[in-house]
Amino acid sequence: MSDLPLSGQPPQRDDARPVPFRGGGFKPVRVRYLGAAVIVALILLVEWGTRTGVISNLTLPRPSDVLGTFHDLWVTGMLWEHLIPSVTRLAVGSALGVSTGIAVGVMIGLFSLARAGLVPLVAAIFPIPKIALLPLFVIWFGIDEGSKYALIALGTFTPTVVSTYGAVDNVDRTLIRMGQSFGLGWWSIVRKIVLPGALPGILSGLRIGLSIGIILLVAAEMLGARHGIGAYILEAGSLYDLERLFAGVVILSALGVLTSGVIGWAERRLLSWRI
Amino acid sequence: MDLHLDRISHRYGRVEVLSDISLTIPQGRIVCIVGPSGCGKSTLLRMIGGLERPDQGAVLQQGEVPGDCLNPLTFVFQDFALLPWRTVAGNVALVLEDHALPRAQRERIVADVLARTKLTDFRDALPKQLSGGMKQRVAIARALAVNPAVMLMDEPLSALDAQTRELLMDDLVALWTRAPFTAVYVTHNLAEAVRLGHRIVVLSRRPGRIREVVSIDTPLAERRAGDPALEAHQARLWQLMRDEAEAADMELSHV
Amino acid sequence: MSTFSRRGAIGLLGGAAALPMLGRPALANTKLNIGALNFTSHAASFIAFERGYFAEEGFDVEFKFFQAAQPMAVAIASGDADYAVTAISGGLISLAEKGAVKVIGGSLSEEKGVDGQKILASDAAYQAGLTSAAMLDGKKFGITQAGSSFHYMGAKIAAAEGATMEFVPLQKVGSVIGALKTGQIDAWTIVPHIAKPLAAGPEVHIIGDVADYLPDYQVTTIFTSASNASGERAKTEAVLRALSKGADDFNAALIDKTTSEAEMEEMVKLIHKYVNADQPYDKARGSIVNGAMRLNAGAALNTTSVKDQLDWFIAEGLVKDSITMEMLVDPSFVQTM
Repeated sequence: MSDLPLSGQPPQRDDARPVPFRGGGFKPVRVRYLGAAVIVALILLVEWGTRTGVISNLTLPRPSDVLGTFHDLWVTGMLWEHLIPSVTRLAVGSALGVSTGIAVGVMIGLFSLARAGLVPLVAAIFPIPKIALLPLFVIWFGIDEGSKYALIALGTFTPTVVSTYGAVDNVDRTLIRMGQSFGLGWWSIVRKIVLPGALPGILSGLRIGLSIGIILLVAAEMLGARHGIGAYILEAGSLYDLERLFAGVVILSALGVLTSGVIGWAERRLLSWRI
Repeated sequence: MDLHLDRISHRYGRVEVLSDISLTIPQGRIVCIVGPSGCGKSTLLRMIGGLERPDQGAVLQQGEVPGDCLNPLTFVFQDFALLPWRTVAGNVALVLEDHALPRAQRERIVADVLARTKLTDFRDALPKQLSGGMKQRVAIARALAVNPAVMLMDEPLSALDAQTRELLMDDLVALWTRAPFTAVYVTHNLAEAVRLGHRIVVLSRRPGRIREVVSIDTPLAERRAGDPALEAHQARLWQLMRDEAEAADMELSHV
Repeated sequence: MSTFSRRGAIGLLGGAAALPMLGRPALANTKLNIGALNFTSHAASFIAFERGYFAEEGFDVEFKFFQAAQPMAVAIASGDADYAVTAISGGLISLAEKGAVKVIGGSLSEEKGVDGQKILASDAAYQAGLTSAAMLDGKKFGITQAGSSFHYMGAKIAAAEGATMEFVPLQKVGSVIGALKTGQIDAWTIVPHIAKPLAAGPEVHIIGDVADYLPDYQVTTIFTSASNASGERAKTEAVLRALSKGADDFNAALIDKTTSEAEMEEMVKLIHKYVNADQPYDKARGSIVNGAMRLNAGAALNTTSVKDQLDWFIAEGLVKDSITMEMLVDPSFVQTM
């Protein structure tokens, strides 16, 4: 035995004290149900406030009345009357925007000519408030569904392009070199290396794109739409009908949560290979 | 198939990286290229593999390529370069997919190379589930699948820890002993060079020139860690490289 | 809770139970925000301001301009505007139902013999046979929003002709004009000072008069917050006095034409400061003169027409059926018809 034991009992001395712990915090911990609890608490507060009159009926609608509006929408079948056109517009418009966005983004990512020619154009289109183009779209594509599809397509197109070519740029170059070194064809490299490698970036771009699509739904239904969640919200706003306004907004939020959930599911399915 | 490097010189902008390199890589031998960092040895390897073009000089192939060879010059990369979204078998199959092979033959090749690299049990695993050593074995299996005329190995063991490196060296020796392959093996690790190289080419610091070519005649299978003859070779190589490495270390990076 | 202002709402949310009421005498040097559109139909406000009728009553007036009628009602409810003149819309009625706003007087009305609002058709529809309002069945009719005055007019005309129309909401007057010019919609109604210049071009045709279907239509009304109506009587009466003087001047110069030519010219110049100000005077003059409609003398209110409008909104399900005329109108200020 030496003087300094390498293992075993701690030394029995009075001044021995634990090393202070300094490594706490800065680490998000998953807390379940708190988000839902905050929302529920807020709704209960508003219900109480509107019932007692502390919150005037001009400021916020009573949540139970909003629920009643939902019930009416459901019973009369108007919910589907408004939801189906909106979801169709969102689906068709964003399918157009996202697919062309991915195609253009991949082209920009792969071809220097496309990059030089299209990146400034995309940068110029991106910040345009698409709503401002709506009257123009009405003339180009007609006041019916065409202009609505076009507006949502353009809105989802630009973020998809930007995130796609960024994702293609970020594909590990050594993987592409590897493909070339094994004599893989150009199309094989694009299909088997570039596209799967860019998929995480493309999907997170899709998240933003579809959210913008939902935002634009209201704008798209400003002109000439009699049915649709956006038209419903606009009508409720112009009639100053707060219950219907909030019911419409809740439906839009639900739509947002739903698309986010679908993309999250797709990410878990398609990107399980990620660490 | 032999490879001849004929007076290769290359520069990146105003920096000369390789100068007048002439070298022969004979069939069935492993040629190691060692040198201080930045001497252009990886660049040289990429030129041999046709991924980069030299400014002057040429890389020449001589002799017939074996008939069942799908990709004569095949790389093994330092960072493995595995597709993370494909399984072990899928990564190997990738390099066969562009060739018109019957499905059964393709599957036979995959099974064969996985067996040779002792990966049969892991054929459905994803790269994220594998250790570094296993990943490099997958990369070697993938290289073997195309039955290369020459394997171009770019510091294949540098990203691994010492124990794994030893094990993989044993694996490589076993593979070569079973079926001798031609290889150019770039490394900065002299122990690897004396263990695996039939010839060891020492490059000077930038611009890289051939300082010396050392031949080791001991058969690969008989080389052991701690062998005095090998230690002597390693000491001599270190002597040659030491000054170059020191000088290279003092230079400002131009890359 | 019957009173509301944005500041008040914040105070309420903060937990304060009562609203501070600012009890200022009406005849002091009071700041006043008047909501308006840049339309000839708002001329009474412009004249009262330019000719000092507001100042005489002790008001320091500032105009708040809007693009559409509905936001004005919201601005009154939020306290951003004190008095405004606009058409009766679903939004206005809903806000009245919530106890935020009250109609206190009349402004613009249709009158037989005076050129009023026009029914318009796009050229494509016109060429296809839409040459009178009797042919409106199955057509697309432009409106700004559901529950706007355009919606009301269109529905009333359709009902009278036994026609079924598709109402196309386009949010803004400008968008409706664009859609009509390009043939995206078939028909629309609008005040004459906009209708006539439009019909002067090849894209749009006038096919009828609104007055034929809604003879004494009370197009626009004067309204204010419920608190002004009930708690600020002197002030509200003073505002109505000033607006009435403006309306009298307007009617004398442009409807009854009892003034001299020079005085009329002066009146048009005054209005041109606010209406079609982006056009040169010569060009704007015609549409202002031709587009003049009578403003109710003494801000008299046609409650029969207002009742008809309210009934229509309720029947269409655009507003709650619990709302009554008493909630919408405070008839104590002006003469009613």
